Amino acid sequence: MGTFSSQVITNDEVSGVKTYVMPTGAKDVVTISGSMLGGSIHCANTNSKTAALVSSMLDKGTEDKDKYEISETLESVGAELSFSSTRYHTHFTGFCLKNNLRTVVSLLSEQLRTPSFSSSELSTLQGRICGNLERDKENTKKLAMINFLRRLFPSNHPNYRETVNESIDLVSKVKKEDLFTFHKEQYGLGSIKIAAAGDVSPADFNSQMFEAIGDWSSKEVEIPKLTEKAREPKEGSEIIKVQDKTSSDLYIGQPIGIDREHEDYYALMLGIYILGGNFSARLMQTVRDKQGLTYGIGSSISGVSFGADGYWNIWGTFSPDILKKGIEATKEQVDLWFNKGVTENELSAKKTTISGSYKVSMDSTAGLAAKILSNAEHGRELSYLDEYPKIIESISLSEVNSAIKKYVNPNKLYMVSAGTL
Amino acid sequence: MSQKNNNKFTGYDFVKESAGIEEYTLVKNNLRVLVLEDSSAPVATFMVTYHVGSRNEAIGYTGSTHLLEHLMFKGSRNFNKEKNTAIWTELQNIGAQINATTWNDRTNYFEVVPSEHLDKAIAIEADRMRYAFLKDEDRQPEMTVVRNEFERGENSPFDVLDKNIWATAYQAHPYHHSTIGWRTDIENVSTERLKIFYDTYYWPNNATVTVIGDFNKKDALASINKHFSEHSKSKEPIPPVYTDEPEQEGPRRITVKRTGQTGIVGIAHKTPKGLHEDTYSLQVLGKILADGKTSRLNKLIIDKGLATSIFMYDFPFLDNGLFITYVFLTPGTDHKKIEDIIIKEYNNILQNGVSKEEIKRAQAQIRATVAFSRDGTYAVASALNEAIAIGDWTFYTNFMDNINKVKEEKIKKVIKKYFTEDQSTTGWFIAREPKN
Repeated sequence: MGTFSSQVITNDEVSGVKTYVMPTGAKDVVTISGSMLGGSIHCANTNSKTAALVSSMLDKGTEDKDKYEISETLESVGAELSFSSTRYHTHFTGFCLKNNLRTVVSLLSEQLRTPSFSSSELSTLQGRICGNLERDKENTKKLAMINFLRRLFPSNHPNYRETVNESIDLVSKVKKEDLFTFHKEQYGLGSIKIAAAGDVSPADFNSQMFEAIGDWSSKEVEIPKLTEKAREPKEGSEIIKVQDKTSSDLYIGQPIGIDREHEDYYALMLGIYILGGNFSARLMQTVRDKQGLTYGIGSSISGVSFGADGYWNIWGTFSPDILKKGIEATKEQVDLWFNKGVTENELSAKKTTISGSYKVSMDSTAGLAAKILSNAEHGRELSYLDEYPKIIESISLSEVNSAIKKYVNPNKLYMVSAGTL
Repeated sequence: MSQKNNNKFTGYDFVKESAGIEEYTLVKNNLRVLVLEDSSAPVATFMVTYHVGSRNEAIGYTGSTHLLEHLMFKGSRNFNKEKNTAIWTELQNIGAQINATTWNDRTNYFEVVPSEHLDKAIAIEADRMRYAFLKDEDRQPEMTVVRNEFERGENSPFDVLDKNIWATAYQAHPYHHSTIGWRTDIENVSTERLKIFYDTYYWPNNATVTVIGDFNKKDALASINKHFSEHSKSKEPIPPVYTDEPEQEGPRRITVKRTGQTGIVGIAHKTPKGLHEDTYSLQVLGKILADGKTSRLNKLIIDKGLATSIFMYDFPFLDNGLFITYVFLTPGTDHKKIEDIIIKEYNNILQNGVSKEEIKRAQAQIRATVAFSRDGTYAVASALNEAIAIGDWTFYTNFMDNINKVKEEKIKKVIKKYFTEDQSTTGWFIAREPKN
């Protein structure tokens, strides 16, 4: 088997679109995963929920087809097309049998380019989204996470989150005109990246895709420059009370002040992985496996993409009556990890974990397409996917322990717990 | 080479082949082995399915199968912390995806590994099949871990409603209790009881191992032979479950009231055993009712803004199951209104049937789902695991052929046969205002 990059055929003959096609041994099935810039961060001229509503309205009808005709076209061949939006991107994902690829590509283009944005569909969608948001008011994990991030970041930072009530208010206020304006300003050729994997011919895929979207107008969309950094880390805690809950959720962490491109990122990531990146990491081995205090606890770095200064956090669940004990056990592990550092054995084990995970993640077309797209969105060459295990391998023990000391401060952790407390 | 020679391997009897998957029996102990070579990626999945699930439990030790599954990670003769070869560490350090799950009819343990580490996965599973430690000092902390898993489930209004619907629909049969078990059983079951459970069901003649991926078949079978052949068959026969659910003689209703924001309606009807021929018609019916925007209930409920989502629960099990339509209401929607819409639509199908086009569309949806269930070694093993659990792994390979045989009259027949009011259990989750 050759390198990863040697198996992916790229094509950028149409300006503003780049395709990445990876034929695999999968029989009959094709997964398409694509995106373009156009997320909530691009909603400067309207409210921040507009991007999400635009993407959610793409399957509710086009200028030529109502939503039933779209669904009928897909469902009659068992294909799926879905759209979503994140902080930075509008994403689209398709699953189909290889014989139906042309139908799916053609429909994808129509839905992206000529949505109808009907008023009645918008109103029904807003009701559904608000219904789901109402349900979030009893979701202990979501409530703890929202409050944690609101404390760490100011309101115009990409990692900030609105409260559930603010989200309901914002969703309710989006108008049909806002959808048309956002679509006109953001959607088009320019930043489109599309990955396809499975039983697919690169030549056929590219000719079908370029035929479908090659004459779309261009848009100059960029990721806006960050105007504010995270708040200064400060020790503190808060409790969110939710009734009738048998398990509580805990978030502990702080801003790290660096993004994914920073030279210390990999060393810090490895350090935090050793603390709580998987089941054999320290937190699961002690707080769960040895002490039996939780079903799940882990740590990770998040919010570091596209120039944003991110954060590290621990998330765990505890029965309300042993939450205090759980917090103490967790903090004890953080202190031990911070004061004594990680060992050469731990680092070596995590390096082989990451290199083996790389192979295992190639097990499905969906996994492959997602991996290729994410790499492309971050502006990296395909060769990065082959180099990644080598980069990880090159990080030394002293670099990891220095990064922990430099970016973690156990005396300035912020903690949010939510539940019947 | 002849087909016969292709299937001849030391220590094994060849049983059958379907859709490229070959079944063998390990002669020494009747372990069933399923093999599928697939070199799409440099990966292999190894899975052991034990034919024991929460249906093998009774009052006092509900949740034991699942608690035992947790203890199986605590160490065995050759893979343990003392030897610095703990299972999680050994496997995660090579980047393996590893876990185990328990459900009504089965317990499965699996590893997705870079192909060169397949032998290690096989060695670990063989070791813990008969040499798991199961120490009381390990059960104590693991019990609270599992209790927190139970508590996390109880946080979800859907999980609570689902448990109550099953407990109401099934009164004698062990599907009455959920796989996680009742809280006090989780807390109080003894290590001795778990050991009895292990010594009753964890034997090669009560398990199926599945190996799929990028490997040499001869080498993989030799490795399975080497590691599993040291176990004998169970000395006693595996005890069968003989409890049948008595006939239901009228509609049942339950209500769960908790603090929350929005309501849920679930309407359940009893269904036949998973291997019954009507299962295929019920699967098609589920698609027609609620899969996709053109489905009937989506048009009647979601498009009218009455609910945020619909979820059809129609999994086939070894014994009789439930066909449940779950609807998650938007704020202000009346439970009764949704219940009436669903029942009215069932009656509409009973009176007028479904169209050929609806069946054709449902079959196309299922065809694509089946194709994607072959996308990756884990996906195949996972789908096979559920077929093994209901009693015949070729349920998976023959599924599409049987789905293609479903016609309009069969849909009408299953609606008439199973969707009667007297066989129904209706559940409402009512969101209560928070107390001040």
